[in-house]
Amino acid sequence: MKSALKWAALGVSLSLASGSICAQDTENEFSAANLYNLANLYARQGKFGMAVLNYERASLLAPNDRDIEANLKYVRAASHVSEPPRSTFDLVARRLSPLTVSWIGVLGVLIGGLSVLAAQISFGGAWMQRAALVLGILMLAVTVCNGIALWPTLHAGVVIGAQTPVRVSPVPMGEALFVLPEAETVKVTAEHEGFLLIKTRSGRAGWVSRSAVARVIAHKSIP
Amino acid sequence: MRANRKSVWLIVLISMLPAPGALADEQLVYATIQPAQITLGESAKFTITNLGDGTSAVTMPVVPGLKFEVIGRSRQIELINGTTLPSSSIVVRVTPQVAGIFTIPGVTPKTQPLVLQVNPPGSAGAAALSTAKPANAPPILSGASVPKGIHLTEDGSAYLRLTVPKREVYVGESIPIEMEVGMRSGFVSSLNGLPKLTGENFALNNLSHQPERSEKLIEGQPFVLLTWRSSLSVVKPGTFPLMAQVPLTVKIRTRSKRQSDLDDQFGDPFWQNFFGTTTPKDITVESPAQELRVLELPLAGRPADFHGAIGSFALESDISPGKGDVGEPLTLRMRVIGSGNFDRVDSAMLQRVDPWKTYPPKSTFNSSDPVAHKGEKIFEQPIIASKPGVQTLPALSFSYFDPSLRRYETVHSSALQVTISPAQADSSLAAPAPGDSASSPVNEFTQGLKPDHAAGGRLARSLTPPYLQQRFLAAPCLLVLAFTAACIGVRRRRSSAGRLSGRNRVASRATERKLAQMEAAARAGNPGLFFTSAREALQEILAARWQVAAGEVTAAQVQERLGNDDIGRIFAFADESKYSGYDVDDTDLGRWARVVRREVAVEAAR
Repeated sequence: MKSALKWAALGVSLSLASGSICAQDTENEFSAANLYNLANLYARQGKFGMAVLNYERASLLAPNDRDIEANLKYVRAASHVSEPPRSTFDLVARRLSPLTVSWIGVLGVLIGGLSVLAAQISFGGAWMQRAALVLGILMLAVTVCNGIALWPTLHAGVVIGAQTPVRVSPVPMGEALFVLPEAETVKVTAEHEGFLLIKTRSGRAGWVSRSAVARVIAHKSIP
Repeated sequence: MRANRKSVWLIVLISMLPAPGALADEQLVYATIQPAQITLGESAKFTITNLGDGTSAVTMPVVPGLKFEVIGRSRQIELINGTTLPSSSIVVRVTPQVAGIFTIPGVTPKTQPLVLQVNPPGSAGAAALSTAKPANAPPILSGASVPKGIHLTEDGSAYLRLTVPKREVYVGESIPIEMEVGMRSGFVSSLNGLPKLTGENFALNNLSHQPERSEKLIEGQPFVLLTWRSSLSVVKPGTFPLMAQVPLTVKIRTRSKRQSDLDDQFGDPFWQNFFGTTTPKDITVESPAQELRVLELPLAGRPADFHGAIGSFALESDISPGKGDVGEPLTLRMRVIGSGNFDRVDSAMLQRVDPWKTYPPKSTFNSSDPVAHKGEKIFEQPIIASKPGVQTLPALSFSYFDPSLRRYETVHSSALQVTISPAQADSSLAAPAPGDSASSPVNEFTQGLKPDHAAGGRLARSLTPPYLQQRFLAAPCLLVLAFTAACIGVRRRRSSAGRLSGRNRVASRATERKLAQMEAAARAGNPGLFFTSAREALQEILAARWQVAAGEVTAAQVQERLGNDDIGRIFAFADESKYSGYDVDDTDLGRWARVVRREVAVEAAR
């Protein structure tokens, strides 16, 4: 019985160490405030695409920042780009920052695991074990919901070029299908030799040059 | 009845007076303008004559700067050799609103356009016109003798002149030519087709759709000149006669030469037609034959990238924009300027140049002459840089054959350098240039922005949520593994303990039975059964402890693992009494019974 507890304790300590390593890597770090100020700078220069991009990035780190939300709306309105609709689920699921949600998920795994282990070694009452298991599952669900709500943003791109032509194939010549305005947010579905396959909110799809559309999150880091 | 017959004859006679002397097998529409040159403020007479049943569609021309007013219509019936030939005329007054040279388009698709020159008031042309007589040459006409290369038809009504700049060409070479059709005013009623070359060895390219129109005096007679320009190419080597032909409809004189000379003195087709002296006839006018020598291109010294371009060319290249970002399409432009067969000017431009991604080029041709012999062909190739920094594009080259030098030439452009910046999409986390921020205006828009935040806050290395980062995912994964391992460990230990306790219970019951047998053998004084039962009791208890079968517990193992002499002696007595019949007294059995019980208790306690 003691050795089982030792295993669990070792796992917790290792996982905490792993999380702390991840958090303590301080190279090339940025904060929500830095991104927000950068977006403001771009907005003052009239580079609305870059401004929207950095506001979107800042809102990932600080989802409840009213200034970010206000300036994002303001810049989109100034560039005559409509605001993407947000559902209630989206608003609720993105209430907490991804970092907090991540640790909640880890805690949920910990509590759920301990409850299962307690049931194995007959530690505590059955009601307590069940309550702990439900709590752990709920905490995990919070993380999963946040991931579902963030998924479109993780695969979104912002048009940073003025009047970006959208073509039928990933080549720089030929007739453009339509033109994307700067600061428009699109869904990036594929990449091929310097071109991105995008889909607009209205459902129109086509290829744009990678230099004209910036992903909210760099492609390589997205699973 | 008599009155009716009189009126019919009267109509016939009257209609014969102004009838043109045209006898047409098919409907013929033509237009004339008189005079061809006027002064601003005057009017010209534009007459459209239809020699047929009058069903042909006549479109009134629309020319900016000219006002057309229909001032009269007339219908005539002409009787020639018993055949009734109807005709109709529309007389239009043309009043210019500004001075200049106007081209009045043909009234039907087959009729030729007319030219009206309107001089400003008080000009020399106007003065000359005011004194001109109908029989004299109009001021715009020039020349009085038959120029070189002109061979008039037998009746002197038309000619076709083919002008070729050289007599020796190469296969595939394109040379500009001119085909000039001269039509004597009033004698040629229509042009029935475009001029063309005879023979199958020549190809005419880019024949101008609208000929240049001018007028000229040849042997004292006014001629309308239509000049087509084209380029000629030859498809195979050899020496070939070259000539051109054009179909025309001319008016053949039906009166004697002496009488016609009188008509010609008027110099006006209107008066010639008035007296009815001609009849239309289709003829084909041919130019004098010329000999053209066609040479084959030499094989020696032919460059690998020669695609058949023959002429004289120069090469230029540029790239736009001059600087760009990684991933941004730039346009590499190559201009081939000169004269020659531009349809064979081709280039693959760049292919697989590191660090550039290249695409197939497209070409456009801007001609500087009507026959596309001179101009520039522009090749535009999209290219995309994949690395930042100062990148160099290699020089471009183009090979052609120069017929004047009689050898192949290869021209090169200079290498181009382009500064490529990292893509803005990739470097979007970097702050813009300081100069930009300093120059950012504080306007109404920027005042609507929420202010900047104080630097600080929680730092993050990646915008990807931690729960999607591999390193962070290690934490819950390790937890899951640890709990899984712990649970598995607990379960295994439980099952192992359960198995042990069960085996012990079975061993204990067997031992108890053997001990009971041993006690009974002691009471009965049976040493053989006693020691056998004692040995089996000890085997059961030791087998349960050592996790082996009871039969596998031997005296040697007991001695080796326990070093207990009493148990060893009991095993030895059991073998001895079993195989040799040795008897032990009652006292000895009681003592050995106590020994066995003690050892069983000790082993059970372990």
